[in-house]
Amino acid sequence: MAKKSVWSDNRFWQRTAAWITGFASILLIWLTFDTNAQIAMGNDSDLKNGVTKRVPGPTVINYKITYEMDKKRQHEVPVIGEKEKFFGRDDYSEEEATELLHLGKLGSQSKNCMNCHTLLGNGAYYAPDLTKAWLDPAWGPTGSMQAMTGKSTKEEAMAEFLQNPSQYPTHARMMPNLGITAEEAKGLVAFLKHMSSIDTNGFPRNFGKIQGAVNGK
Amino acid sequence: MVNEAFVAQDILVDDFLTIFVSSTLVLVFGGFYVGIYTAVKVKLLKTWTMPFAYLFWVLTGYCLYLMGSLMHVNELTAKALVVAAIGLLLLPHAVYYMQDRVHEENEH
Amino acid sequence: MANSYLTSESKKLATWYFTVAATLFGAQLLFGLVAAIQYVIPGFLFEILDFSVARMLHINALVVWMVFAMFGAVYWLLPDETGIETVGIEVGKLLFWIFTAAVTVVVLVYLFIQVGPADATSIWFIHEGREYIEAPRWADIGITVVALGFVANLFLTGMKGKRSGIVTVLMADMIAFAGLYLTGMFYTDNISVDQFWWWWVIHLWVEATWEVYVGSIAAYGLITMIGAHRQVVEMWLWIEVTMLFGSGILGLGHHYFWIGTPEYWWEIGALFSALEPLPLVAMFIHVLYDWGKMQGEESAKGLDRSVITNKPAFTWFVLNAFGNFLGAGIWGFFHTLPQVNLYTHGTQFTSAHGHLAFFGAYATILIGMMYIAVQGKNGIKVLNNSTSTIFATSMIVGGVVGMTVALTVAGYSDVIISRAQMGATWAGYFDAQATTWLTQGMVWRLIMGVVTFVGFFFLAKDLLTIGKSNIHVR
Repeated sequence: MAKKSVWSDNRFWQRTAAWITGFASILLIWLTFDTNAQIAMGNDSDLKNGVTKRVPGPTVINYKITYEMDKKRQHEVPVIGEKEKFFGRDDYSEEEATELLHLGKLGSQSKNCMNCHTLLGNGAYYAPDLTKAWLDPAWGPTGSMQAMTGKSTKEEAMAEFLQNPSQYPTHARMMPNLGITAEEAKGLVAFLKHMSSIDTNGFPRNFGKIQGAVNGK
Repeated sequence: MVNEAFVAQDILVDDFLTIFVSSTLVLVFGGFYVGIYTAVKVKLLKTWTMPFAYLFWVLTGYCLYLMGSLMHVNELTAKALVVAAIGLLLLPHAVYYMQDRVHEENEH
Repeated sequence: MANSYLTSESKKLATWYFTVAATLFGAQLLFGLVAAIQYVIPGFLFEILDFSVARMLHINALVVWMVFAMFGAVYWLLPDETGIETVGIEVGKLLFWIFTAAVTVVVLVYLFIQVGPADATSIWFIHEGREYIEAPRWADIGITVVALGFVANLFLTGMKGKRSGIVTVLMADMIAFAGLYLTGMFYTDNISVDQFWWWWVIHLWVEATWEVYVGSIAAYGLITMIGAHRQVVEMWLWIEVTMLFGSGILGLGHHYFWIGTPEYWWEIGALFSALEPLPLVAMFIHVLYDWGKMQGEESAKGLDRSVITNKPAFTWFVLNAFGNFLGAGIWGFFHTLPQVNLYTHGTQFTSAHGHLAFFGAYATILIGMMYIAVQGKNGIKVLNNSTSTIFATSMIVGGVVGMTVALTVAGYSDVIISRAQMGATWAGYFDAQATTWLTQGMVWRLIMGVVTFVGFFFLAKDLLTIGKSNIHVR
């Protein structure tokens, strides 16, 4: 029998596999703790004191959200501005806002949004991305979607559409009626507004900035 | 408005196709390199074809460079890509060396 | 089921698992076809079987048929590897029936109830609305029980019988596989936290534990089909485990670029993603190398015959080595770095990658295992290709590759128009959907989907009848 080389020894590779796997797992767990601390939802006092959170608290629905270029980070970030009315109010308490967001998040799952739309870019590609839907020009004061519903505010337009999607001729691929109630629609819009305030490291890029063609295309 | 968007456009629209094609070719050429190397070692191909294997590795490296520079990858990613390219170069050698060892130990 | 050559109860159970798996594979293709038609004719089954429902069935059937086939393959190889009958086989059979019944109920609820109100009952009894793991909470618990029962059988058998390297890897891998499912079983209002843990299940399944599983099955296949040396194959298996877990676990980072998680994931994701194709290359060389070596040894003995004892299965195993590299490797790599993923994330590119990767990395090898089961069940020494095998293989492979190419072309248009030029707005999205490249791409995807579906019928026919054919060496 030829002398055994360490490189062709099963025990050696078995141990290597165990060590590498263990090391990678421990690193992942450590990073998970760090990340989870950073993506934990903020609260109302953070918003009042101007503390920036990657995922702001539910009362962010009381404020105006914009998506602006951050020179230092070299990409766009959501910016929480002055107070803004949401369904006629800008004084949702932490409890009310949490409840609304809870209803909306549950609604987004039970209505199966993710199997047509993408949320934070994940899901299906049959319908538009919802990550920054709240900030989309189409739903803005001069946007086609808001005009279509005949409503005067973005949130009312979205809620109206969500309740009767197949009444509005949006695209050949229409959204089906999912039996969304008025209250659920309000929750879903709160969920969308909250999602648009999440710091997604600049995704999607140049959102809403480029209205026409660039680079001669 | 338009100007600001222009600054943020870190990948030019015209570069996307080149990026996709070159990153695909990275692995296609890489596959050729590994395939030819292995085929020569198990005597499916004649030995003189071996330089072509290395030629494909060089092409892999070039495509990786092209892709990385058009994407404007940062320094760390650039280093990771170099490590991956060297890893690819060494991989079949290591495979062959170890396979051979084990075969020898088992048969003789 | 008459005159089976199988004496092992474990192998009989494996054939049951394979039967359900193949049926669900058919269901996956059927609902995929419905969704593909809806891209071309948007009014098709509108408000009857909407895209969301069709797609949910499409991807859930995919996950479930693969899990069924994976369990089946383990029950198949256990007696061979350990030299004993599987421990707790009666419990295994009971769990099989529970699993099958639960899946049937879930599918019927998806089909006929579809959506519920925005409260916890929908999450518990209809679906959770989280892509790939939509199964309602009650089914989650059921699946966990079944998976733990399966892992227990595997462990008890592995500890009682001979514990080969393959069995050891499977034991470690399957417990991780079952454990990871638990991370996808809670509800949170925070969508970033939700997606963070959701990827623990999805990524750490398909890019880590499932890949290692494939490595073990490929090792078993090489030993049984071409008589590769166990020592060589098992050493390779350990190296593959090292490389797959070494790159795959932290490769999770490439899903954390844009979901609200910190920026350092760009670097981690990019670094480990760049390394992820390497183990796939290694697995590819390994198969070719062993095949060349064994054939060479046979030729050296002056014997001019193939070393392959199961032609169809070996074809699928080679397709696996190649498909894994192509689908998971190439199609994954070209949009994985954060600089380019910023534009490609959530476009038809992802869909192209998903189709080829799931097929190339998993469907292929599991179909191969089904052919191994057919061989064993009919007591065949050398299983040859029938005409149906050739039709099935070429149509399914051609169909999936065709769909992938069509979706890639569509995805390119999607990226350029909606992302690079229009900044990902709704207007940009709809403009991209209207381009000729995208609409034509969807038509070709449908055509290729039909080809795949027809191929499936050849496959089903072949699996049912090839064992009775007289083209084999018995």
